[in-house]
Amino acid sequence: MDKVPKQKKEKIIFDSVNFFYGTRQVLYDISATFYSNTLTAITGPSGQGKSTLLGLLNCMWNEVPNTRCSGDIQILLGGQWVSPLRKDISLSHLRRKVAMIFQEPNPLPMSIGKNMAFPLKLAGVRDKYLIEEKVHTALEQAFLWEEVKDRLEESALNLSGGQKQRLCIARALILEPEILLCDEPTSSLDSKAAGIIEELLVSLKKDCTLLVVSHYLDQVRRIGDLVMTLENEGLTNFKERSS
Amino acid sequence: MMRVFAERMVEYLSWAMAFLLCLSLSVFLSYLLIKGLPSLGTELVFGKADPLSVLMGRERVFDGIFPAIIGTLCLVVLSTVIALPLGICSGIYLSEYATPVMKKAVGGLFDVLAGIPSIVVGLYGFSVAIFLHHHFSGRLGPCLLISALSLGVLVLPYIVRSTQTSLEELPAHIRHTATALGATRLQNIAYVLIPNALSGISSGVILAIGRCAEDTAVILLTGVVATAGVPSSLLAQYEALPFYIYYISSQYTNPAELSNGYGACLVLLGICSALFMVAHGMKKRLFHWALYRL
Repeated sequence: MDKVPKQKKEKIIFDSVNFFYGTRQVLYDISATFYSNTLTAITGPSGQGKSTLLGLLNCMWNEVPNTRCSGDIQILLGGQWVSPLRKDISLSHLRRKVAMIFQEPNPLPMSIGKNMAFPLKLAGVRDKYLIEEKVHTALEQAFLWEEVKDRLEESALNLSGGQKQRLCIARALILEPEILLCDEPTSSLDSKAAGIIEELLVSLKKDCTLLVVSHYLDQVRRIGDLVMTLENEGLTNFKERSS
Repeated sequence: MMRVFAERMVEYLSWAMAFLLCLSLSVFLSYLLIKGLPSLGTELVFGKADPLSVLMGRERVFDGIFPAIIGTLCLVVLSTVIALPLGICSGIYLSEYATPVMKKAVGGLFDVLAGIPSIVVGLYGFSVAIFLHHHFSGRLGPCLLISALSLGVLVLPYIVRSTQTSLEELPAHIRHTATALGATRLQNIAYVLIPNALSGISSGVILAIGRCAEDTAVILLTGVVATAGVPSSLLAQYEALPFYIYYISSQYTNPAELSNGYGACLVLLGICSALFMVAHGMKKRLFHWALYRL
């Protein structure tokens, strides 16, 4: 049964996107549509550009030297269509609204509370009570509040792998993103921790649109409303199929 | 069989080399201690002057190393203060902003600078001092400031390269954390990259401090003299421990004077160790402050 809602609302549109690392092309003429409040799982063999595809949405590819991209990407943010490739939105604003979770949990070497408050402070929020409230809400959203509510002053590096990844998700959620990009978020975790993260990602659909890159086919089928495969058959093509 | 033998040999050889190094260091330090300890005391530092009066600034030291200690400390602090912002900013530029071509060109220039012998840097400082002497009717000449500037130039490459390398070596997950959370490039550098690279940067600073404290060639040409007393201003001549050690060991007239030279060596080692410890302690505090100041 198709898990995609009947009233699909377009959120992200890729239009003939090509991407190059130097002279090596990794994405070939990608055209695809992703829908609001949907979890789209992207799978495929290694080296096909799955992570690159995610990185295009919040312009993380800008951080890699000697790269170029052609085509267009349209994202519906705050009710308006913006194009990150045409740079008609500031990078900071784009990355706050299109958050990213990496394969390796990456808490900063500071306390749990400071890690959570960090993105808000970067955004210029100084109201202590507002920060506390948002930290609480985001940690609850990430199923982590009960486990860390008495340890907010402890170093985030002391958390377990799964807790660190949930902290990173909570840290991304604190900015109330409209899109959450997850680049193999469970690949460094054991099955129990991975299960909690899966459950968390599914629960987040009500608040944002999720794109999850994963190597695990069973996981992709379990959590994805849509499953897309990025594979190389001479030309890399992009197939869409309902789960 | 041969492979096992080769692996064992490499292991033993590495161990032997490390042991030899530690042994050499121990022999060297022991020799310095044996030769220098007898002369260590208030007389070496203050001569015949009353230490309290000297510290209160009421009396001058003529036959002790107190002025040289103060001169060395001033030199180290001044040179570091001059080289630190320049070096760190250049390192940040090379690591975070420079295009590959600029990185190669500017980085190459710093490598050339690192390879310049200190006597050449000293000669350059001397030329500047002569130029100033001619153009400011004798009011400016070889002095503490010119020595510090020359030493600052000498140690700049250490700070630049250590800053650049420690920033470039940061793992991608640290480099991209704040960026993915909407940090601007400057916010990322200031709040995440620099604090996380502080350990490497401070190694460069420690090296620089050591070099400033020990270099004799540069100061020899730019302002140090045998008897200047405690430096009264940045534009005054001064005494310094490395020069005192060089001077006394080449001009001594009796064994007691040579022993004073060894004593001065121990004092210089002590000052360097204390400065290293201060730098190390500051690194820890700075790391905490840099991460938590936002």
